[in-house]
Amino acid sequence: MPATDEDWARGYAKQALSDLEAREILVSGNAEKCHRLHFLQMASEKVCKAYLTMANGHENVRKTHAYVARNLPIIARQFYTIINDDNEISRWEISEIRRIAREIEVLAPACDENDIRKDNSEYPWQDGKGEVQIPCEYNFPNINDKSRTIIRLIRLIRTASESYVK
Amino acid sequence: MRKSKRETAENLAKAHFDVEPNLQRVFLLEPIHEKNPDVPIKLLEVVKGTIERGIEPIAFTAEPAHGIEYPSMIVEISPREYQHLRDGKINFGTHAWTIGKEFMAEKNDNASNR
Repeated sequence: MPATDEDWARGYAKQALSDLEAREILVSGNAEKCHRLHFLQMASEKVCKAYLTMANGHENVRKTHAYVARNLPIIARQFYTIINDDNEISRWEISEIRRIAREIEVLAPACDENDIRKDNSEYPWQDGKGEVQIPCEYNFPNINDKSRTIIRLIRLIRTASESYVK
Repeated sequence: MRKSKRETAENLAKAHFDVEPNLQRVFLLEPIHEKNPDVPIKLLEVVKGTIERGIEPIAFTAEPAHGIEYPSMIVEISPREYQHLRDGKINFGTHAWTIGKEFMAEKNDNASNR
């Protein structure tokens, strides 16, 4: 009997939770920022795929990493609507999450915005000055992964994933 | 007493207007199947600046503990995609959905900031 879309969504959501746990271990072990961001990117992608799979079917969720920038803000909107009663904070954070979600998406090497964004969390790349940049030495200045918004984003991913795992 | 699907849809739309600064318009997608609680509420949301990917619904489970008794789906599109939808240049694909009632943002301090 083939797996259902619910089975796939649960699988994506559970793996997203595991990715977040792996990130916590990396943070505790003082791993380089690229590794912390890599697991954040993977968790973000999988929670988006969980929600897309339920609506579109597993077969229609294309094999791409380009789901985060568009869908993470939608998930944030829904969950802040339900779980947060301070709308002023939510409005500001959703704008910030929209910006950060785009930055998280381009961490995947395949999402380089037509060769414009070569900075990624996995492979070395050549920058505009001809120098090779190495993820483990790069500081990813567009994402402060200790900011309050990132912490809230991680909590959001966890909450959203748990609602498909339960 | 349990809210109807239409009431829940309206509450969701209002709440989304409250937290999403770029949300311009929200429509109910029909049919709503009021008597079947397992069929998701579907909202079409027009958001300025969203990445254009066509009709790509995203599904949410019911959250009874937070007053959302039904599953829901959000279809987010850009203003240009909305126009294309109205012009028939794009459609809902295999989904037999039609655009229903529009929910308006409440006029309050938040709305005036949009």
